[in-house]
Order: sequence, then structure tokens, then C-alpha cells
Amino acid sequence: MSSKSMEGHFSFFYNRRRKQNIEERTGKQMTLLEVQNVKKIYTTRFGGNQVEALRNVNFSVEQREYVAIMGESGSGKTTLLNILAALDRPTGGKVYLKGRDLSGVKEREMAAFRRQNLGFVFQDFNLLDTFSIEDNILLPLVLSGRKYKEMEKRLTPVVEKLRIADILQKYPYEVSGGQKQRAAVARALITRPQLILADEPTGALDSRAADALLQLFEEINRDGQTILMVTHSVKAASTAKRVLFIKDGEVFHQLYRGNLTNEQMYQKISDTLTVLTTGGDAR
Amino acid sequence: MRGQIYRKLAVTNLKNNRKTYVPYILTAVLTVMMFYMMDALSRTEGLGTETMEVVLAYGRGVIVVFAVIFLFYTNSFLIKRRKREIGVYHILGMGKRHIAKMLLTETLITAVAGIGGGLLLGIAFGKLLYLAFLKLLQAHTSLKFEVSVPAVTDAVLLFLAIFLLTLCYNLLQIRLANPVELLRGSSQGEKEPKTKVLLAIAGFALLGTGYGIAVVTESPLEAISSFFLAVICVILGTYALFVAGSIAVLKILKKKKSYYYQAKHFTTVSGMIYRMKQNAVGLANICILSTMVLVMVSTTLSLYAGMDDILRYRFPREYGVRLLMTSPELETMTEDVIREETAGHSVTIDPDTELSYHQGSAAGILGTDGFDLKTETDYTISALREIYLIPVADYNSMEGKNVSLEPDEVLAYSTGEDWKKDTMRIGSKEYQVAGTIDGLKVEPKNRSRVTDAYYLILSDEQEIESILKEAWEGSDMAEEWIEQQSSVEYVHFFDLEGKEADCTAAEQAITDRLVSQVPGIQCESRQQSRDSFYDLYGAMFFIGIYLGVLFLIAAVLIIYYKQISEGYDDKERFQIMQKVGMDQREVRRTIRSQVLTVFFLPLAMAVLHVAVAFQVIKKLMVTLNFTNTPLYLLCTVICIAVFAVFYAIVYAITAREYYKIVR
Repeated sequence: MSSKSMEGHFSFFYNRRRKQNIEERTGKQMTLLEVQNVKKIYTTRFGGNQVEALRNVNFSVEQREYVAIMGESGSGKTTLLNILAALDRPTGGKVYLKGRDLSGVKEREMAAFRRQNLGFVFQDFNLLDTFSIEDNILLPLVLSGRKYKEMEKRLTPVVEKLRIADILQKYPYEVSGGQKQRAAVARALITRPQLILADEPTGALDSRAADALLQLFEEINRDGQTILMVTHSVKAASTAKRVLFIKDGEVFHQLYRGNLTNEQMYQKISDTLTVLTTGGDAR
Repeated sequence: MRGQIYRKLAVTNLKNNRKTYVPYILTAVLTVMMFYMMDALSRTEGLGTETMEVVLAYGRGVIVVFAVIFLFYTNSFLIKRRKREIGVYHILGMGKRHIAKMLLTETLITAVAGIGGGLLLGIAFGKLLYLAFLKLLQAHTSLKFEVSVPAVTDAVLLFLAIFLLTLCYNLLQIRLANPVELLRGSSQGEKEPKTKVLLAIAGFALLGTGYGIAVVTESPLEAISSFFLAVICVILGTYALFVAGSIAVLKILKKKKSYYYQAKHFTTVSGMIYRMKQNAVGLANICILSTMVLVMVSTTLSLYAGMDDILRYRFPREYGVRLLMTSPELETMTEDVIREETAGHSVTIDPDTELSYHQGSAAGILGTDGFDLKTETDYTISALREIYLIPVADYNSMEGKNVSLEPDEVLAYSTGEDWKKDTMRIGSKEYQVAGTIDGLKVEPKNRSRVTDAYYLILSDEQEIESILKEAWEGSDMAEEWIEQQSSVEYVHFFDLEGKEADCTAAEQAITDRLVSQVPGIQCESRQQSRDSFYDLYGAMFFIGIYLGVLFLIAAVLIIYYKQISEGYDDKERFQIMQKVGMDQREVRRTIRSQVLTVFFLPLAMAVLHVAVAFQVIKKLMVTLNFTNTPLYLLCTVICIAVFAVFYAIVYAITAREYYKIVR
């Protein structure tokens, strides 16, 4: 499959957008996340084969934006997310969060940095079975050494917003998947992070719970929270304001919502995906 | 499917589970070895006395019970971990019959490796153990120690039976479970344990009672009966406290919000609650096993190390004769023999230590006005006192006094509390107390004893005989026995001075001649008794160490498996915490404090148990003629120190395995 030739279709979009980003970063202070020429090469353990997971990724996320990154399995989405979450370091290129170079954050400060600036929502929730829902939500605040009074104060609005106030004393294994995921979102929100990173947040949910969660994401975003979501669900991506497509380790294309409804957006994403895949095959 | 496939599968399975199966097989090897060696040793002919055989047989019995329980316990742990794997085989199309065949092959391999390895090691080290045993007994006999065929047969049969039992258990587990359950295996969502308030309180109460009994008990006699009760209380209390008490305490901590919601305590407290739920019984086991090891080794070590004190306590004089149903002729014969043989071996009697007197001995229940006489010495009655009746003439000659007593007068000497009244009733007769004595050469005051003794000095032998007659009146014992017990005896104790070899030879000659010439004589020699004491206490020490090692292996293995299983459980938990924003250092710190607590809690508890048990055992040991408390304390402290070091090493090794898994 020749992806090089695919790039030709969309490259003009892509270059124009990049120029714009750089202008914004130097001009206004609106850019929250800036990804520049990020590259990641894994060396396999046996035989020393090198696998290029990310070739050259460039994009940026503005404040109050809601961005979805789409791609098939093996396209490098998860690698990218791990790099953005500072769980993994890129082989080349830079990631800036609010203008701060992530590679400049020391290993010892990394956990605190993540706690203060980033919120995570995972596909499999990653709630701890040994904690009640309340304690799961409070965990990052406890780790930051906050006072219990302050925790309580922060907890109430978040759990009301997420409609989980009535299950706070329950344990993760006692509640539904949708409730678990909302608890996980509450845990991400409670630190008031700059950016929420969501990895296939609807992946383990039934369609109704998924819809409810996506609606929540939209609401949270409307309240001013920046969200970056990685998904391969068209439905999930269609709620975002902007969709980036990754293929073979590069950002291949992007779509803006503009004034489109979710349904129209869904259609547009589907079409793009069709072009992306069949286009590749046709060649 | 052919046999070949089962063998391959079984070998692959064992290889894949080597982290848990290697220790299991090692344990089997060690247990077989320990059993074989003990069995072979106790079967060695001409080894020695009956007491020793009893002690060895007891040791072997404990090993059998231990082997059954322990291998079974370990196996159940292993099979629980493997349920998922077996579930996968099942879903991939292996019938339960095929799985059974596979498990059978696995068990066979394990059994062959365990029994074979154990026997090889046992035969290799058997000789060494045998030599060590003889050394401990200070025996100089050089018996041949060979491969014992009956012991090999015993070991093979016993352990095949045990392995068969574990196989049956495993098959039952597989049969009872459906594949979905098997697949889910050990990783089911665990509920937070409930606080069992009643059990926690019961635990505290039991432990308190046990400790209370141990501390309050005064006399060695009470100690015998109460010790058992205290042990039961403490064991039950320990289990209850570990199971319920620990969780109750943690829940209380959790309720205190300002404490709980701190980074330091948050993960630790909640993690500990689950750890205690899963491991409480295992930890209590470790605690009890550790206590047993410590108590057993420290007491037997003290007895062995304090042998000289014990001998000196039991035999205050080097040599003694006791002439039952004495008469002037017999006494002259006895004294002639002693005089001739000491002179013949060029040794002399040390006059400072020499004691020769007549006495009648009885037992009495101490009342406010005197004694009720008893014929049986039932030491469980706390008011029981030993009574020795000595004629005043002998008293005068031994102590260099010149006292004369009327037939209704008595001079009283007690090894414990003094007699305060002016009169003393002995049986039915009332005596006037002519005075009390502060000390007697026969026995010093306030020596640790099983029960206190009264030495009563009376006017003459007729008076003594009349008291003894009264005591034995109406007894349904054999006539001869009554006659012997109710008559006055003559005793003669002394130390010998001279070359050691001469003294030994003189003692031997005296004993030989007296036993053959004088009817109703008993001779005792400290030197000659030494061997039988070393036989008994040496064998006990040997068994103490032997079983101590065995229990230690058990404790180590329980600890190892606990760490591994927790490692797998905690792995996921700590990964999530890292994703949520806990850094490596914090994770390590949390793990450390949890692992340390869980690890050293049983040890701390065991040391506490030992400290309290010390109070009772100290008194109990008086019945074994051991009174050297500082030595016992030293032995206990050394044992605890050695054990703690060993425990810490085991911790370091197993903790490394744990970190490897979690990381």
C-alpha cells in the first residue's frame, strides 16, 4: 500500500494548516498543545528490527478545543497518546504543553506534572477495585496532598455534573460500565487539568452509555475544557470539533466541523474514511 | 491423544509454572529428606534408651502430620492459580478426562522428582545427621549407619499417598467447576471485607486471657495445667486478631478522614485491607509457626546448654545411697562398702558435703493448722507439700547442734514460706512447735522447686514411724509397697575428692557391690546419670532443631507464595496508579510500607508470644530440673536474633521476586 501517494491528495490542506499553527503559536497565546515532527521508532527485542510507529506527526490543539484523532489499529494512535501523556518519550521531535517542552520535564517531576496538567480517561476505565467510587475520584487530589475539605468542595460540582452523586460509596464492581466511565471522567476533571486525554473512552460501553458519555464530553467542552480523544469510532469522533486522521504514523488529513450537525459530521468522517481506505486499495 | 502428548503437556506446564512449582518440588524434596532421615534414625538398632526412641518416634509423627498438611496446603495454592490455564485447555477442546490424565502425569513427575530427590539427599546426609545426633548425646558408640530399606519403603509409601491425595483434590476441583468459572479463575472482583466486630473482640479477649493466664500463673504445677489452656487461647486469639482485628483497625483508620486522605496513608490503608483479607490466615500461620520454632529451639537449647546446672540441681551431691527399710545391720554393711571402696580407689569423702541421716517422707495438704497426710503425690493440688521427717539426733549430728525434743514437739523448716503458728497438726496428732529453722544443709532455702517442702525434726524414729503408719493406713496399694513407704529410710550423700578417673571408678565399684550385696538399696551418681540426661535432653534438643528447621521451611514457603500471589494481584493496581499520576518513587514507597508491615507483623507478634510464654515456660522448666533463668533468657534472645536475621534474609529474597513481578 503506498501511503506516500495518498499523501498527495491531502497535502495541501495539511501544509496550509501547519503554517497557520506556527503563526498562532508565535502570535496569540491560544495554543495549548503543540506537536512538532514527532517520531517514534521501536526496536524489537529479538533480531533488532526497527519499527516506525510514528513517522512525522505535526498538529496543534487550541484552548477549549475538542479534537478527535482517528486511525485504524496499528496506525500509531496509542503511541501518539502515550507520548502526549508523557508516558513515553518520542525518538525525535517536540511536544509543547502551554509552551513548555515535555522533554524538559524531569523524570522526578513527571508524575506531578501529569497530575496537575493532564486528565486521563481510558477505554477500560482503570478504576481501582480497592477504592470506592468517591476515593477513586479523589485519588489524584490525595496524591497531590490536598486537604480533605478542599477535596469535598471540588467533588460536589463534578459528581453532580456527571450524575454520579448517588453511587459515590459504591465500589467499581458494583456499578455499570457507563457509571464507571463517568467516575473515570470525574477523576480526570477533579484536578482541573489543562487537557483531557481520552483513549477510546466509548470502547467498552454499550451504545446508550456511549451516547451519554459523548454528550457529556460535549457539555464539558462547552464549559471550556479542552479534550483530545483518540478513537476509531466514527460516532465518537463525530462529536468533536475537529478530527485528525492518522495513517502509517503520520497525520494524513483533518476535518473541521464548522457548522455541521453531529449527523452531518458523521457522514463526512465516514466518507473520508472510505476514501482513505479504498483510495489506498485502488492504487 | 496418546501418552506422549500428556507427557509433553505436563512437562511444558511445569516449566511454564516453574516460579511456583520449583519451590513446591523443593519443599517435597526437603520434607521427604527430613522424614527419611528421622525414620532411618529411629530405626537404627542399638541406638540407645527407650526415652530416646520415644522422642524420635514423636519427632517422626510430627513430621508425618506436617508433611500431609503442608504439601496439601501448597498444592491447593498452586491449583488455584492454575484454574485459568486449565480453563483454556478445556475450552480448546480438552475433555475433563484428558485434563485429569494431564494432571496425573504432572503429579507423577512431581512425585518422582520430590521422592527421588528427597531419598537421594536423605541417604547422602543421613550419615551426617547420625553423627551430629551422637555428638549431641555425647555418646561414644560407633554404630554403623546404612541405607535403611524399611525407611525408604516408608517414605515412598507415605509420600505417594500424599501426592495421590493432592491429585484427588485437584481432580475434584476441576470436576466441580464449569469452564467459565475456571476461566475466571482467581481474578474475580473482590468485595471489600466486612468488619467482623465480634470476632475482633473475641480475638482480643482470647489473647488477653491467654496472656493473663501466662503472666498470673505462679507455681510450676499450675503452669502445667494452665499452659495448655493459654496456648489454645493464644492460638485462637492470634487467628481471630489477624482475620478480624487487623481489618477492624484499618477500617477505623479509614473512617478518620483527615488521616485517611493523605497520600501516605490513602493507598496503604486501602491496600492493606485487601491484603489482610487474603493473607490473614497465612500470616497467622506464619506467626504460630514462628512462635513454635522459637519456643521449641530456645527451650531445648537451654536444657541442653544448662545440663550441668540441671545435674547439680537434681543431684546436689556427687554420690548418694538410699537404703529403704533400713536396719542397723544393713547400714553397717553399706558404710563398710563405702569405706572400703573409697580407700581402695584412693579417694576421700569431702566432709563438708557429707550428709547421712534417717528420714521418713510423706506428702501433705497444707492447711491453716497443719497437714492432712496423703499417700499419693498429686502435684496438681497447689496446697500439696512434700514432708520429710528427720529424727533430732541426726539433725544434731549434721548441723552440730544439741537440741532435745519431747515426743510431742517439732522443729520446723520450710523451703518456702515459714511456719508461723505455735502448734502444728500432722495427720491427727497435734505437735508443739519448739522452733523454726532458718537453713538446713540438706536443702538450702528458696531453691526453685516444683512444690515447697517441709523438713520436720521430731524426737525419734518411733515418732516418725507412727506418722508414716497413719498416712498409709487403709491404703489399697500392694502390701510390700506400703511397708516400704511407711518405714524410715537411711540416706547418705557425699562428694568425692581425688582424681576424676579414680572417683568414677570408686562410684562404679560402690554401686556394683551395694546393688548385689545390700537388699533394698538405691544408688545414684551424678556422673553416672549424666549419660541418661544427655540421652533425653540431647534427643529433645535434636528434635527441637530438626522440627524447627522444618517449620522454618514451611514459614519461608508460605511467605514466598504469599509474595508471588500478591505480586500478581498488585501489578495491575500499581499500573493504574501510575497512569493516574503516581510516580515510581511513590509506588515503590507504598509497596515497601505495605510489604514490610505484612511481613514483619507476624514476626513482631511471634516475639510478643514468646516473651509472654517465657514467663510460663520458665516455671515449667523447674519440673525438668532446669532453674537457670538467665541462661534461658540468653538462649531465647539468641534464638530470636538468629530467627529475625534469617527472616529478614527471606524477606529480601522474596521481596525482590515481588518487585520483579510488579514492575
